[in-house]
Amino acid sequence: MAGLASTIYNSLIRKNTVFLTTIFASAFVFELGFDSISNRVWDSFNQGRQWKDIRHKYVQAEEDEE
Amino acid sequence: MSALTSRSSALLRTCARQRLAPIAATSMAAQRRGKADQATSSFDSPFRGETSSTKIPSFASYKSSKGETSNKVFQYFMVGTMGMLTGVGAKATVQDFLVNMSASADVLAQAKVELDLSAIPEGKNVIIKWRGKPVFIRHRTADEIKEAEDAKWESFRDPQPDSARAKKPEWLVMLGVCTHLGCVPIGEAGDFGGWFCPCHGSHYDISGRVRKGPAPLNLEIPEYDFPSETSIVIG
Repeated sequence: MAGLASTIYNSLIRKNTVFLTTIFASAFVFELGFDSISNRVWDSFNQGRQWKDIRHKYVQAEEDEE
Repeated sequence: MSALTSRSSALLRTCARQRLAPIAATSMAAQRRGKADQATSSFDSPFRGETSSTKIPSFASYKSSKGETSNKVFQYFMVGTMGMLTGVGAKATVQDFLVNMSASADVLAQAKVELDLSAIPEGKNVIIKWRGKPVFIRHRTADEIKEAEDAKWESFRDPQPDSARAKKPEWLVMLGVCTHLGCVPIGEAGDFGGWFCPCHGSHYDISGRVRKGPAPLNLEIPEYDFPSETSIVIG
């Protein structure tokens, strides 16, 4: 435990530049994950109500008419 | 000389010691007198009978059993996480404001013009309005293409080869705004068989490059595309 903590401290936190870079990189990764998860939650909450869910009905009907 | 200095310093030291001793004695006496006074006064001091006046409580139960480093890592982790969340929130806020300023999809769709090219015969100009500006479309003949490509463009004021100005050599698409002061040039006029601006006499050649007159740049090329062989989309 102590070894792991000191490894993290020495590699990521000790230098301020490295610490800041780590913060920005993790912010980037966190944003990607947060956006994709919240999109998935939104899609599952609105299942069957969005255009992409009902598109196949209308687009196929138009093609049949033609 | 050295013997003299050492002796004088020794003398000084003994003097200081002798001076200090009586002072210490008098202070002790004063303290003793204080104790005697307390015993007779009605004030009940909580420090009575204490040997030392400073008592440090024990913090042992509050002390972390883990080492210093893991506590520091925890603190910095919390600080870094806070900074990360703040950064993500600030980025999202700024992005929302910037996206709000950009054109919406319906505006972008209206900003395109589609045109049927089969209606334009060879050697004819067509002027259409696009985003409030005139756009010249010329169906160039083979002679005009040859003339535009053979011109010594390296020595022009705004050197551009004809291949950089027309995606298909037979179709020349340009904004019909003179680069001098924004007049609309006249087609099939001027000394170079292209366009001529009547305002201040700029002459453009058959590729829309400025050849004579005050204009500093060639006629501007808008963004356009050919979705099929006979149609063009500007914008």
